[in-house]
Formats: sequence, structure tokens, C-alpha cells
Amino acid sequence: MNESNDKLDARITADAKQAFDQSVDGLDAATLSRLNRARQAALEELTKPTRHWLQWMPATGLAAAVLLAVFAFRGPAEIDVINTPASDLEILLSEENIEMLEDLEFYSWLVTQELEGDSDLG
Amino acid sequence: MTAGTVNFAVSCDESQTGARTLHQARQFDQFLAEVERRALRIAEMGVRDRDEALDLVQDAMIKLVRNYSARRSEEWAPLFYRILQNGVRDWHRRQAVRRRVMAWFPKAKSDDNDYDAIAAAPDPAGRTPDEELQNSEAMRDMESAVHELPTRQREAFMLRTFEGLNVAGTAVAMGCSEGSVKTHYSRAIHALREKLGEHYQ
Repeated sequence: MNESNDKLDARITADAKQAFDQSVDGLDAATLSRLNRARQAALEELTKPTRHWLQWMPATGLAAAVLLAVFAFRGPAEIDVINTPASDLEILLSEENIEMLEDLEFYSWLVTQELEGDSDLG
Repeated sequence: MTAGTVNFAVSCDESQTGARTLHQARQFDQFLAEVERRALRIAEMGVRDRDEALDLVQDAMIKLVRNYSARRSEEWAPLFYRILQNGVRDWHRRQAVRRRVMAWFPKAKSDDNDYDAIAAAPDPAGRTPDEELQNSEAMRDMESAVHELPTRQREAFMLRTFEGLNVAGTAVAMGCSEGSVKTHYSRAIHALREKLGEHYQ
């Protein structure tokens, strides 16, 4: 690089800096006001409590996604027979078991006998 | 330790923490006030839109205070510009995606009748319209020459020349080695000499 290029570079850099500084000084009041508000908003971050729990958000999300994936790829689970009072009633009220209702006293006696037998054993 | 001593210790801790926060807030306020206008112009030269540049500067300020308040104040300038440059790069990526998406939709008609009273207001520095024109023309030529530089060269030139960061600080801000900064800066100067040199003949 020769001396004239060095001088030219220095002049270009100096002029660029000068033009830049003038454009900075010429910023309008509305822009300066917005910058001031932006600065105040940033400074409010200092007074906010540290949200440590937020640090765990990605890990928690990942864990939840892995769990979902595991359940999704495990295939259909075995269907358990649901033993609820409603299903019991449905069975009881079906036509095939209507005789059971008629012999309700007998079954009640049978249960009592079984319970007494168990207590004798214990 | 008695209950009274504990209370006194806690209140001392709280007052010390409060004083530290206040001192830190003053330091940040001073730093941001000093850097904000140049940062805005640098961001504006990167995205060529003042509103977008203002948003990027605000994001950079918030991220700096939120994430780097524990760092020494000497490190703030390079970190701040690193956040800002990342923001500018992300903005360009988003714009590229948006352009690809919007290419599928017909263009909406622009409204040319918008009158910006703030832009039309007199210069607060009291310069004459001629001076303003001369300055704005010089700035426009220089700005377009700088904008045409490849991204890394532009970043190196703006951070070194406009913000006055040293090579090490520029390297932190750009996330590269000091050698790379020197190379990018040298190439930027060479390209500007090629583009603007004829104005100096």
C-alpha cells in the first residue's frame, strides 16, 4: 500500500466518521424520545426479580415432549375392564341376569356365610 | 446470633443490595445514554429502516441489562454491539423469509399521501437547509457505499470507525478472531476507496 492510498484511506475514514457524527447529532426529538423510553424500559430489568424457574422451561418442555413421544410410540395399551358402580348396575339390569335379582336374598345370605367362614378361619 | 442481630444483618443486606442496584442502574443509564444514538444509526445503516432499528436497539438494551448486568462495565460495549449485530442479522433472515412468503401474494398499493410532521420540522441543531442538504448528501453517499459492503466488512468498518471499538472489542462484538477483524476492516477500507475515491480526485 503506498502513501497516497494511506492518506486517501485516512481522509475517507475521517469524512465517513464526520458524516456519521453529524447524522447522529441531527437525530430528531421524536427519535431521541423513543431512545430514552427504550433505555428506561431496559433499566427496569434491573429491578425485576430473577426468574430462575424460567431457566428450567426448556428442560421441562423437552421432558414433556419425550414423555409424550414415549406414550405415543408405545402403541395401544391393554384395555382394562372398568369396574364402576354404573357398569355393575348395567350388568345387573341386563335381561340375562334378571334371575339374579330374584335370588337377591339368597346371594346376600351366601355373602354373610362366606364372611362368617373367613372370621372363623382368622 | 439474636433475633435483633439477624434483623439488622438482613436490613443491611437489603440496603447494600439496593445501593448496588442503584449504582448499577446509574452506570447502565450512563452507558446506554452514551451509546444509544450511535447504535441507532449503526442499526439503521444495517436495516435501512428507522423504526426497525429502534426496535433492534431497544431489544439489545434489554438483553444486555437482563443477561449481562454481572459483567464488568468495560465489557458492555462489545457485548451490546454483539447483541445488536445478531439482531440485525436475525432481522435480515426474517426479511428474507417474509419476502419468500409474500412473493405468493399480490402487492398492496402503498399510500403516498403520508405526511410526517416530525420529519418536516426544522433541524434542532439550527443548520440551514443548504448545510443540511450537503450533510445529508454526503451521508447518503457514504451510507450507500457502506451498505453495499459485505455484511462482515460493514460490521467491522462501522464498529471500528463509527463506534471507535478497538480490534479486541470489535472481535468480541463480531464473534470472531482479531485477525478476522483486521482482514474485514482492511477489505472494507479498500472497497470504500474504490467506491468513493473518485470524489477525492
